[in-house]
Amino acid sequence: MKVYAPDGAVGSPAVSPAPSLPVLTGRRIGILDNTKPNAGALLEGLAQRLVARTGAELRLVETKNAALAAPDEVIARLESEVEAVLTGSAD
Amino acid sequence: MTADARAMLDLADDDPAALTALYEQHGWGDGLPMVPPTPQRVDEMLAGADPDEVIAVLPPRSGIATRHVIAVNAVLAGCEPRHLPVLVAAVGALAAPELNLVGVNATTHCVAPLLIVHGEVAKTGGYNSGLGAFGPGNRANATTGRAVRLILMHVCGARPGPGDASTQGGPAKYSFCVAENTSQSPWGGYAPSVGVHAASAVTLHCGEAPHNVHDMESLEPAPILDKVASAMTSLGQNNAPISSGEYFVALCPEHAAACASAGWTRAHIASYLFNRATLPVAELRRAFDLRAWAPWQQTLADDDRMSMTEHPDNIRIVVIGGAGKHSSVIPSWGMTKSVTVAVDA
Repeated sequence: MKVYAPDGAVGSPAVSPAPSLPVLTGRRIGILDNTKPNAGALLEGLAQRLVARTGAELRLVETKNAALAAPDEVIARLESEVEAVLTGSAD
Repeated sequence: MTADARAMLDLADDDPAALTALYEQHGWGDGLPMVPPTPQRVDEMLAGADPDEVIAVLPPRSGIATRHVIAVNAVLAGCEPRHLPVLVAAVGALAAPELNLVGVNATTHCVAPLLIVHGEVAKTGGYNSGLGAFGPGNRANATTGRAVRLILMHVCGARPGPGDASTQGGPAKYSFCVAENTSQSPWGGYAPSVGVHAASAVTLHCGEAPHNVHDMESLEPAPILDKVASAMTSLGQNNAPISSGEYFVALCPEHAAACASAGWTRAHIASYLFNRATLPVAELRRAFDLRAWAPWQQTLADDDRMSMTEHPDNIRIVVIGGAGKHSSVIPSWGMTKSVTVAVDA
């Protein structure tokens, strides 16, 4: 006998991730801190290591609520000021 | 689309255990036996409705919730065709931006969407609004709530681990559906009170399992509601650090009657609870480094007391249950708002 699968089709995601930068040397990077515990410290430490190792410049640090998308004005500032963003940390 | 909307599998026989074993190979199912979704059963569930109608596209999987796949999950859960309209409306409500389903599905919190069924469909669908309404023992409540969870797991991809990070999970994640006891509500139905004037409606509130409020002795509103306020006032709830979160207060008919006989409306009750469900600001500041509070709350002094929510409108009053003197509080996950929609029954 036949039964249906329960998951159905998958739609296209609303956005696609940008391609990774081939090198960070001389690039402007930013941090989007999702304010999860220790996320700021983790991202700041990671950014400083990247700056030291690649010569990237840490230009901007923004924060957002952990459970919501970043506000449009935060995304706009990141878009205009930096070329790559470090973000994301769970509990 | 990136997958077959109506993929089929071979099942050895109609034994639910065989289906469970087959589905487990794909990571499907909630751990309980399911009804095999054969084409005949799914067609009966659809009752001639357009199977390809897209009701919602749901995160995190970007799953396309057609009426067909909703019907498949309704069959799996054990629903009857008369329950499908509630389920379809609920799936549409899951996509409301203010409900924030991506967060609800992905969080480490134990949140589950509570369905509250209102109006005519609560009767025609056989939903229980009275004694033992939160369960068990009623097919409509149990299977509609279960079907929502199966859709969250299968269509949304909210399976524990890859799509649902809930630290401990929770019993409300199996099934969480109840009907409003409109006939014993002194204030009429909940849905019209939030502007949904339809014969049938459903509310989704993403929160915790109910917290009991027991008051056997009081005939006046204040002592009953003081106990409700006590149940609302916990540092462990997400409402404490997130002031935009709602509370659903499910008053039993006898507690509701005690309030109404003293002339109290829903607004009076919400206002009273807003002023009684408070904690010292210093205690809240000590408890939370991260505080998603309203700007006016941020300016409070340490020796002030602060309400557990930023506005009385976030305290929603609904009558649920039968005889006895037990009410309940359903705290919020926080970064979500309840949604009430009409049911096309």
